[in-house]
Amino acid sequence: MTAPLLTAKNVSVRLGGKTIVDDVSLTLHANEFVALVGPNGAGKTTLIKALAGLVPAFGEVEIEGRALSSVPVHDRARRLAYLPQGHDFSWPLPAGEIVALGRYPHADPFSPVSQEDRDAVMHALEITGTKALADRIVTTLSGGERARVALARVLATQAPIVLADEPTMSLDPRHQFVVMELLRKAAHEKGTVLAVMHDLALAARYADRVVVLEKGRVVADDTPDIALSTQRIAHVFGVEADVIEIGGTKLPLVRRPL
Amino acid sequence: MQAITKSALRLNAALVALVLILMLVSLMVGPAGLPARTALAALWSGDGPAAIIVREIRLPRTLLAALIGATLGLSGAALQGLFRNPLAEPAVFGAPQAAAAASSFVIAFGLSSATSLIVPIAGIIGALASVGALVLIAGQRTSLTVVLLAGFALASFAGAATALILNLAPNPFIALEVAFWLLGSLEDRSRDHLLIAAPFMLASWIILLLPARAFRALTLGEDAAASLGVDLKRVRLMVVGGTALGVGAAVAVAGAIGFVGLVAPHLVRRYVKHDPARVMVPGALAGAALLLAADITVRIVPSAIELKVGVVTALIGVPFFLSMIFGERKFLEGGPA
Repeated sequence: MTAPLLTAKNVSVRLGGKTIVDDVSLTLHANEFVALVGPNGAGKTTLIKALAGLVPAFGEVEIEGRALSSVPVHDRARRLAYLPQGHDFSWPLPAGEIVALGRYPHADPFSPVSQEDRDAVMHALEITGTKALADRIVTTLSGGERARVALARVLATQAPIVLADEPTMSLDPRHQFVVMELLRKAAHEKGTVLAVMHDLALAARYADRVVVLEKGRVVADDTPDIALSTQRIAHVFGVEADVIEIGGTKLPLVRRPL
Repeated sequence: MQAITKSALRLNAALVALVLILMLVSLMVGPAGLPARTALAALWSGDGPAAIIVREIRLPRTLLAALIGATLGLSGAALQGLFRNPLAEPAVFGAPQAAAAASSFVIAFGLSSATSLIVPIAGIIGALASVGALVLIAGQRTSLTVVLLAGFALASFAGAATALILNLAPNPFIALEVAFWLLGSLEDRSRDHLLIAAPFMLASWIILLLPARAFRALTLGEDAAASLGVDLKRVRLMVVGGTALGVGAAVAVAGAIGFVGLVAPHLVRRYVKHDPARVMVPGALAGAALLLAADITVRIVPSAIELKVGVVTALIGVPFFLSMIFGERKFLEGGPA
């Protein structure tokens, strides 16, 4: 197996005297789509920010074998793309300009936009189905449209490591599938994707591996059918679930709160 | 993308032309009542009274109006980019208030006369002290909310200090002099004022323009911008430092001139499709045009005592700004905190 794209060793994050992420170790290999699940307040967002180097953390994070802190910021930005939660935009820019920001780490401020940049933006707009939205003002778009524009921005970077915080939030069922397909494709073709998910069935259907976080700790890191067993779902999420098998894939469906 | 660049160039060219025209008009008006043709001719040749009026009085005043207006417009646009909020302005850092307090202290306690060079130096030191204190209070990794609140506290403190200085001024004439100076004016500013303030303002332009690209990335929020390679700490430091330098020097030579930093970027924002990076240069040019126009206005409005330009910018600026808030209410309500 090739060297992992991202390795976290004993990562802990303390905020305001409280331990949010507690001694987490995980590895993202090439061609892997990994889902990060856990109840509200488990520390998923903080963990993903720590992996992106956005919050101070104890422990070690390495990308492509190099300590994250030793990688120059522009290098890091080209190798690791981060999609924050919420898909909010501060200025009413055209959506195409938002997607073009994905090329920010590649751009040289003293030279015009390169053909490579233009192609990457165009490709990202096409695969996310946002090409028709490119000239629309991003703050006037619907929640689902903004989510896809935000994803297009992340994909335009063409970074091998993608860390996405709830990429399917506020998407209708069809676009949830579209986005999951895109992320899985991005992982299998270009590198690795770690995505925070709330829909366990969607995670089980698409992810190669599921990491379950509870109170800041990793309680499972395995293939979906093992990580999302009915016992674990009951224990971690406090809901009773049935596992049904469709086309060889085991999908957990929650039935009622425990 | 290409289309925006082209229209931004056209916009900048139009604004440059406007600023140049206003500068010429500014050289032609004044209480001396020189014919316009004589005034323009005196700029290049001759050494009679007309030449002295135009070169020693009107030229420094005109250049100061353009430089100060541009500095206020640019720092407004930079602060708005940093804060991702169209309502940010230099006053949120307390820089103008602190500059005014330091300068009025020097004037009120007779350390120098109001036209001495010690006033601008005190103003710059005051602005830098307030911004230094802001950086110390806000620390290294804090939210912009903390910066805003600290800036608000410092601005209030500087305002109180100015009031205290007026309160304790040794004689009422000096208090009146300070109060007048605080209103903001470009009257009787000399070449010396220009020479001491201009280098600081030009330096502030460079410092404020360098992080422009980062403002566009900040549209995605601070975390996403940081993940794209924006060094937030550095951008904050540059905006804060550039603002202190430029606004401190501007306030020190001209007193408090409000609303230019707030209004100028708004006037041009729609023409650059709300791009916080591309609004910088047009914002500065609009600021220069605004202040030149205001300073021409105070000279052609007939009155016994010349109106203060700071009073005019506030009188015109506030209603304008309120109407703008009204017009953009929907966006502002949906915008970031």
